[in-house]
Amino acid sequence: MKEHTKPNEPPVERPDEWWYRIYLAVIATTIVVIALLQGFTYYFSN
Amino acid sequence: MRYLDWAVVVAYLVYVIWDGIRMTKHSGDVEGYFLANRSLPWWAVGLSVMATQLSAITLVGTTGQAYSDGMRFIQFYYGLPLAMVILCITAVPFFYRANVYTAYEYLERRFDAKTRSLTSFFFLISRGLGVGVIIAAPSVILSIVLGWHEVTTIFVIGLSTTIYTMIGGVQAVTWTDVKQMFVIFFGLTVCILVIVSQFPAGVSFTDGLTLAGATGKLTTVNLSFDLKEKYTLWSGMIGGLFLFLSYFGCDQSQVQRFLTAKSVSEGRTSLLMSAFLKIPIQFMILLVGVLVFVFYQFATPPMIFNQVETGKVAQTAQYQTLKGEFDSAHLVREKAAENFLRDRNDASKQEYLAADKAFNASRKNAVDYVKAETGNKDFNDVNYVFPSFVVQNMPLGVVGLIIAAIFAAAMSSISAELNALATATTIDFYRRHFKKEGTDREYVFFGRIATFVWGIFACIVATYATNLGSLIEVVNKFGSFFYGSLLGVFVLAFAVKRARARGAFFGLLFGIASVWVASHFTDIEFLWFNVVGCLVTVISGYLISLTDKGGIDAVKV
Repeated sequence: MKEHTKPNEPPVERPDEWWYRIYLAVIATTIVVIALLQGFTYYFSN
Repeated sequence: MRYLDWAVVVAYLVYVIWDGIRMTKHSGDVEGYFLANRSLPWWAVGLSVMATQLSAITLVGTTGQAYSDGMRFIQFYYGLPLAMVILCITAVPFFYRANVYTAYEYLERRFDAKTRSLTSFFFLISRGLGVGVIIAAPSVILSIVLGWHEVTTIFVIGLSTTIYTMIGGVQAVTWTDVKQMFVIFFGLTVCILVIVSQFPAGVSFTDGLTLAGATGKLTTVNLSFDLKEKYTLWSGMIGGLFLFLSYFGCDQSQVQRFLTAKSVSEGRTSLLMSAFLKIPIQFMILLVGVLVFVFYQFATPPMIFNQVETGKVAQTAQYQTLKGEFDSAHLVREKAAENFLRDRNDASKQEYLAADKAFNASRKNAVDYVKAETGNKDFNDVNYVFPSFVVQNMPLGVVGLIIAAIFAAAMSSISAELNALATATTIDFYRRHFKKEGTDREYVFFGRIATFVWGIFACIVATYATNLGSLIEVVNKFGSFFYGSLLGVFVLAFAVKRARARGAFFGLLFGIASVWVASHFTDIEFLWFNVVGCLVTVISGYLISLTDKGGIDAVKV
């Protein structure tokens, strides 16, 4: 496991457009996960 | 605990302390000691973020809650992913590019030194007390396993973590967090597999979930909008959102995590790691509690899990009568569960539910009796369920592994909190008010002393925290008292251009006062305190700012 990195490596920053797609994916995944949990509850409660 | 279990726990402790201490060589200057020279990769920071939040309270408290109350606690985390997205857009770039050591340092640039000091002071108070509760949880376990006094276990856990945090600084905190997350995940996986393997012949994993589902223990979404209900979809999505915005965006113990990342992008990615993984991991932890519930459908559970309190009343005639009723209720429920799994019809389900209700009533009678006899009105058995189960039912070696996982969860949170408390004390108070032109060596030395003092303080608080009911709720309730108002100050700083120092300072005081009023004079549940505190701080802060005639030019963004 590499534990230490060089502090002077130039940071690589991704563009905002790329981040907005990731944020959308996070929100969509959350909605799907909550729906799956609701389905899990319904399946085992009935 | 047997020798092999002891060997696993001791090996874990020795390795973690050694691993933390060896980071000393990277912690000679202020930026190295407090921010790891902003050099850490996203995955290490992300695991550290999760390890910091996942304390022993989470393992011990929420498994106990799932055993008695089911999985509805998971709704608490539904607002977390959205909170992470908002923080990636706002707090991460703001703090990172401001080149600050603490979140509160930023407030001085935006408002004034008074506002910075006040927010940092509230952080120190709330977190200093909160870390005491975090130490108390694993101490409860060890006091059962070892038969030690709780005070002894508190100081063993607290001081061992304090030592490597004090010496190794934030590098030690982060890299030990990474290894501790692996220990926790491995321990949980083994725990689930072992519990399921101990179900009786003919009872499968899905059979177990069917029993749990019938009793409502698998409820994960409650659409009620009742403000007096503790865990609903809305309290999680709205109250939880505010709590997590405040915890991850305004609490130094978390802000310091992403400030150690190599870049803004790496800081963002580390937070999004939690956004994706937190709900599944919490589901896994709650599932352990539910599976313990299923296990005890077919094996006689202790009437009272807290053996210390049981010992005080076990010889009384009333206790023995209650124990007889409890054992009978368990046998009836066990038979009803077998019938339900065999027949799978409505009649057998109703019979099982009635038996479960009678069983719960007999256990409640026993708990009420212990409360009355011992005079301990705050007695709560929830925190003792999981450790008691582990010690009594897990095989050789696995007990040690799970105890090590609980240690890992505790130490990862304690170390990050102590490091954050020391950073705020050093940077926001010592360097700001007492020693402006000190050397790196002086600040690092003071940071180490501050870590040690906070460690001792937390241990003392922990000695008072072991009887405070469900520990996970205690720490969240306590945090909710301050978090919303702290968040309100940062909302004023980031989003309200007209906000001024006077508005932020008095807005914070009004916000905390409003939460105090809400907690004493209304019945709303604690997650909503975050919403109340934030809104009152922002609105009052804005209105007070309007009375400040200072121009926009005076604002130092």
